[in-house]
Amino acid sequence: MSNSYDHDDGKPGFFARWFFSTNHKDIGTLYLIFGILSGLIGGFLSFQMRMELMEPGFQIFDNPHTFNMYVSMHGLLMIFFLVMPSLIGGFGNWFLPLMIGAPDMAFPRMNNLSFWLLPTALICLLISMFIPGNPSGDGFAGSWVMYPPLSTSGHSGPAFDFVIIGLLAAGFSSIFGAINFITTIFNMRAPGMTMHKMPLFAWGILVTAFLLLLSLPVLAAALFMLFFDRNAGTGFFDAAKGGDPEMFQHLFWFFGHPEVYIMILPAFGIVSHIISTFSRKPIFGYLGMAYAMVSIGVVGFVVWAHHMYTVGMDVDMKAYFLAATLIIAVPTGIKIFSWLATMWGGSIRFAIPMQWALAFIFLFVVGGVTGVALANAGYDAAVHDTYFVVAHFHYVLSLGAVFGIFAGFTYWFGKMSGYLYNKYLAAAHFWFFFIGVNLVFFPQHFLGMQGMPRRYVDYPAEFEFYNKMSSYGAIVTLIGVLFFLIWVAEAFIVKRKAGDNYWGEGANTLEWTLPSPPPFHQFNTLPRIK
Amino acid sequence: MSDHAVEHDYHLLPPSPWPFLSGVAATIWGVGMVAFFAGLYPRNAENPNGLMEFLFSRGMDMFGADSSGVSNGGWIFLFLGCVFATIVMIGWWRDVAKEGNTGDHTPVVRIGLRYGMIMFIMQEVMFFVGWFWMFFEFMLFRKERAGWNTDVLESASAYQDGYGVNAAGNHFSTIDPWGLPLINTLVLLLSGTTVTWAHHALIKGDRKSAGTGILLTFLLGFFFVFLQGLEYKEAFVERMTHGFWLDSNIYGSTFFLATGFHGLHVFIGAIFLFAIWLRLKNGSMTPKQHFGFEAAAWYWHFVDVVWLFLFTFVYVVFALN
Amino acid sequence: MRFSPFMKASGLAIATLSFSALTCVGTAFAESNKDGPTDGDIGFQRAVTPVMEAITGFNNFWLVPIMVGIVVLVTVLMGYIMIRFREKANPEAQKFSHHTGLEVAWTLIPVVILMCLAVPSMKLLYFADVVPEAGLVVKATGNTWNWEYSYPDYEDKVDSFVSNIVDIPHTEKRTEAGEALSHKQIIAQIEARPADQPRLNGRPYLMATDAALVVPVDTIVKVLVTSNNNLHAFAVPQFGVKIDAVPGRINETWFKVNVGEEGTYYGQCSEICGVNHAFMPIEVKVVSKAEFKRWVANGGSFTAQYSQNTIQNKIVGGMQTAAAQ
Ligand code: HEA
Ligand code: HEA
Ligand code: CUA
Ligand SMILES: [Cu+2]
Repeated sequence: MSNSYDHDDGKPGFFARWFFSTNHKDIGTLYLIFGILSGLIGGFLSFQMRMELMEPGFQIFDNPHTFNMYVSMHGLLMIFFLVMPSLIGGFGNWFLPLMIGAPDMAFPRMNNLSFWLLPTALICLLISMFIPGNPSGDGFAGSWVMYPPLSTSGHSGPAFDFVIIGLLAAGFSSIFGAINFITTIFNMRAPGMTMHKMPLFAWGILVTAFLLLLSLPVLAAALFMLFFDRNAGTGFFDAAKGGDPEMFQHLFWFFGHPEVYIMILPAFGIVSHIISTFSRKPIFGYLGMAYAMVSIGVVGFVVWAHHMYTVGMDVDMKAYFLAATLIIAVPTGIKIFSWLATMWGGSIRFAIPMQWALAFIFLFVVGGVTGVALANAGYDAAVHDTYFVVAHFHYVLSLGAVFGIFAGFTYWFGKMSGYLYNKYLAAAHFWFFFIGVNLVFFPQHFLGMQGMPRRYVDYPAEFEFYNKMSSYGAIVTLIGVLFFLIWVAEAFIVKRKAGDNYWGEGANTLEWTLPSPPPFHQFNTLPRIK
Repeated sequence: MSDHAVEHDYHLLPPSPWPFLSGVAATIWGVGMVAFFAGLYPRNAENPNGLMEFLFSRGMDMFGADSSGVSNGGWIFLFLGCVFATIVMIGWWRDVAKEGNTGDHTPVVRIGLRYGMIMFIMQEVMFFVGWFWMFFEFMLFRKERAGWNTDVLESASAYQDGYGVNAAGNHFSTIDPWGLPLINTLVLLLSGTTVTWAHHALIKGDRKSAGTGILLTFLLGFFFVFLQGLEYKEAFVERMTHGFWLDSNIYGSTFFLATGFHGLHVFIGAIFLFAIWLRLKNGSMTPKQHFGFEAAAWYWHFVDVVWLFLFTFVYVVFALN
Repeated sequence: MRFSPFMKASGLAIATLSFSALTCVGTAFAESNKDGPTDGDIGFQRAVTPVMEAITGFNNFWLVPIMVGIVVLVTVLMGYIMIRFREKANPEAQKFSHHTGLEVAWTLIPVVILMCLAVPSMKLLYFADVVPEAGLVVKATGNTWNWEYSYPDYEDKVDSFVSNIVDIPHTEKRTEAGEALSHKQIIAQIEARPADQPRLNGRPYLMATDAALVVPVDTIVKVLVTSNNNLHAFAVPQFGVKIDAVPGRINETWFKVNVGEEGTYYGQCSEICGVNHAFMPIEVKVVSKAEFKRWVANGGSFTAQYSQNTIQNKIVGGMQTAAAQ
């Protein structure tokens, strides 16, 4: 392979470059491609779900099991295979080393292992959709939360075993990734870059990595328990053997709640940079912003049971989780208001990334306040497991994390590819997507208040109006996704060259000091931060 | 920019096949896990020797009493995956060892490796937190749970005054902590001292004693696994009288899985030490630079501490309570 | 002032959204007086128990104002900033990046708001969650996929009975040609059944069952909830009741239907439990105390001769298993 280094830029040949990569930018690209692919599959599933729910009655699915399977796979794909790989693996790999002035990640080879475990995981999940789940049909249909006994005795077929293996692979991928990010941040900052001078995106990734490191192993243990309950006769979650199905929920949400912040903190980081760039102003209250993320991470570990208010917990426990959950609104509020203050007095340009970022702030607040509503245990009895919850988490995920992804993607697209996108196509993407997802998810608040339960293939006619509206929204969203694919393709076809710093003055993190795209190995001489 | 000389001490690597091959190995291994434990196909009476049925029928049935003469190949992929993974790991670690010897591990890289190992151990700790959580919940609340469970749990009263009954309906006795488990504790504690001995010897440049120390630790590790195997065997053989097995009830499940995963970690740690021993014999590991050894030792101490917790709670406190 | 197309469009979008937010506040107070869900309604269903009244009140007087207030505050601030500090209006950016007073304010004010919210929230929680001395105990057991009710207080009088959805098998919900039947067509099929089979009789499809849980009005009813296999959740929105059915564990909840609110109320299984998760509704018939006594005396029937529950269960129970396959 040594002769492949003779090229001037030091890039290895095609196969070695993309399969045997040890280069953080190439691995980041792989992650992003992988994220887009899973996003399209997950989006396809959700589109089918929405088409089914367009009207009461069976539209597409003959078998409710298949619908439930789509819901479960949609949740798992979007969370583990779209958001996490794109935000952490994709942007984290690409820009964390660039922003802290490092030539690469700390463990470049392990970095590639993190990536290559994901196709393994995806293959396992995709296989699971086509093999027997239980006597009712193929695939695993027990929702992304995988509660036993539905996931143990309720799914006797091997489909769920594949899901378990897939999630274990994805989990190990993220754990290795987390180790890599933490080490890179602690050990490879450019000379002069103290922790308190580190860009906020790096802070976001740092906190995220710790959340991954400390929460995923617990999920792994829980998944092993499920696996052995299913296949080796253990009784962890089997009441007849003295076990307790509720224990799984504790273990799952001990991971699951940090997981939701894992999905949003990197987006917080991205949005901070975009807001600052396009307001041409430094971040307001940098330290407050950084430590707000830290405290979200810390508090995020002690609120898990707010997903379990209806399992029959002791009332004092509920009271504790209620109070602890409310606290998280405070650091999140600090972030929101600091972003507003960053814009205040700025000279704001509404470039496409800025539009995504502004929409992010607005929509995240909507999703956040419904989260605060859900935190009230007494109130939650009325809306738990209804579409109100679905609306809440899509506002923070599909309209929060995904908007963060698109914000980052448009912001850094020129840096990564070397090409500029067409503004009009990208704007069409934004507007169709923005209007579409709002149409999908805003009415779901009303459905939920009216009592429509989640994971229902068919619903009483009394829920038709808002379901229809929601499904029309899905069509608009789909058009938005098409525009996304079109603008990306167009940019690669037309090849408008991007300069080093195509955003100008406001963009002042280290990646903008490099050419677009950056050389194969950057910072052979480390930058010095004053 | 890329033309001029590299002026930093970080470790940039040439492309490496191992991560990709690990992914391939993991896929095969994953399919194997499912085929072995769950089986993709039920054994087909009409077509007992079809290739797919053979390859993907539940490999675990091999051990069952009811293997009705039909061969099961569910273990094949699992086996291939394990072999493949082992080859990949050997290749990967050899590369790391080589890089260590050729001076790629500059001081700053060594700090990075330290961070990496600490983080890795932290995630291992959280893994065991999951198992201990399960165990403590059961230990503290089993009596209450039995109270809820009366309608499904035939042995509810047995739970209320003990740990339940085994598959044959007999009350079982928990393992006596002062027999094999105590010996095992001593074995592990001893191995902690031998690994420290090796470390001191290495720092002093006494490579021979260092080698002996590592080898002793490794052997003690395997001795531990062996004794644990004896303990398991005893419980298994007596599972119909006063013993228990992992499917007897929740106590059996938590006991075997928690101690079993610990045993697996002892095994991994021992292999790790063995690899370090080989490297020592091949001349690497200097008094100044032997991070590979230190990592193995940290890992060993971590495994040790987990055992102390297991011994204290799963064996001693549980038997008292 | 000249606005860029983005400004115009986003102004429009924000205006529409805040308008819809404000309408939400308005209509949250306007309750429908129909029972069950109502198409196009945006608030809770009408409350008929003290707990649901408390939840609705908490929603209307605490949550909605706070939620909408915060969203409107952020939107208005953002709108103002977007206009006032856009590139054209403010070509030269200022450079400040700290203001301790502000930072303290936006930390403390949310803390205060949340503390104010926590007080009524805790009250609500303890009110809803602590089961008072009950006048009647009923037990609901989730099966795959129906509910089974029993009356421990009247064990010798009322047999436990199974409550199935009134429905046709899934396999018959499509014509030969593969066309999906609409709800109307399905309802027509159900209504055309012979008289000894359960029919809807005007009750909502997918909510109606062949045998309702019967409880007296103005009585504290304690519900014991458990399950035989998968998780389910016993939920009745108009009662403010939702509690998981967990195998091996008996959960408790309670409700007390207000005086004068006799009628039929519906709920749906609210925890995913397999294929027919969407097809195991909960129907509660609230009757006067006298009528409830009569019902018990007749062994779980409103007329002395004919026990609707037991007969119909047999028919639909068989059908349900067919549908599950
Ligand atoms: C990115 C993902 C994400 C994020 C960021 C959040 C954020 C929050 N979530 Fe959400 N949540 C999910 C993803 C997320 N959630 C998912 C996926 C589920 C469902 C899982 C499932 O069951 O399938 C869920 C479910 C869920 C539940 C369980 C509901 C149920 O099942 O019954 C609860 C209950 O407490 C909750 C609460 C919260 C809270 C309090 C926040 C807070 O962090 C929000 C804080 C933000 C704000 C409050 C807005 C900004 C603040 C201000 C402007 C300051 C002023 C504000 C006040 C004074 C109130 N969430
Ligand atoms: C990040 C998470 C995420 C995202 C983005 C979405 C996006 C969408 N979701 Fe979903 N959803 C979940 C997570 C998510 N969802 C979860 C966890 C559940 C619960 C599952 C369960 O109950 O078990 C759920 C459940 C759920 C339901 C409830 C089903 C039920 O309970 O019966 C519905 C119904 O309408 C729905 C619809 C949609 C729609 C229409 C979209 C649309 O917004 C989709 C539009 C398409 C995209 C957003 C993809 C575009 C992105 C790319 C193409 C990649 C770009 C990448 C780069 C640029 C790098 N989702
Ligand atoms: Cu029963 Cu859902
Ligand atoms: Cu949560």
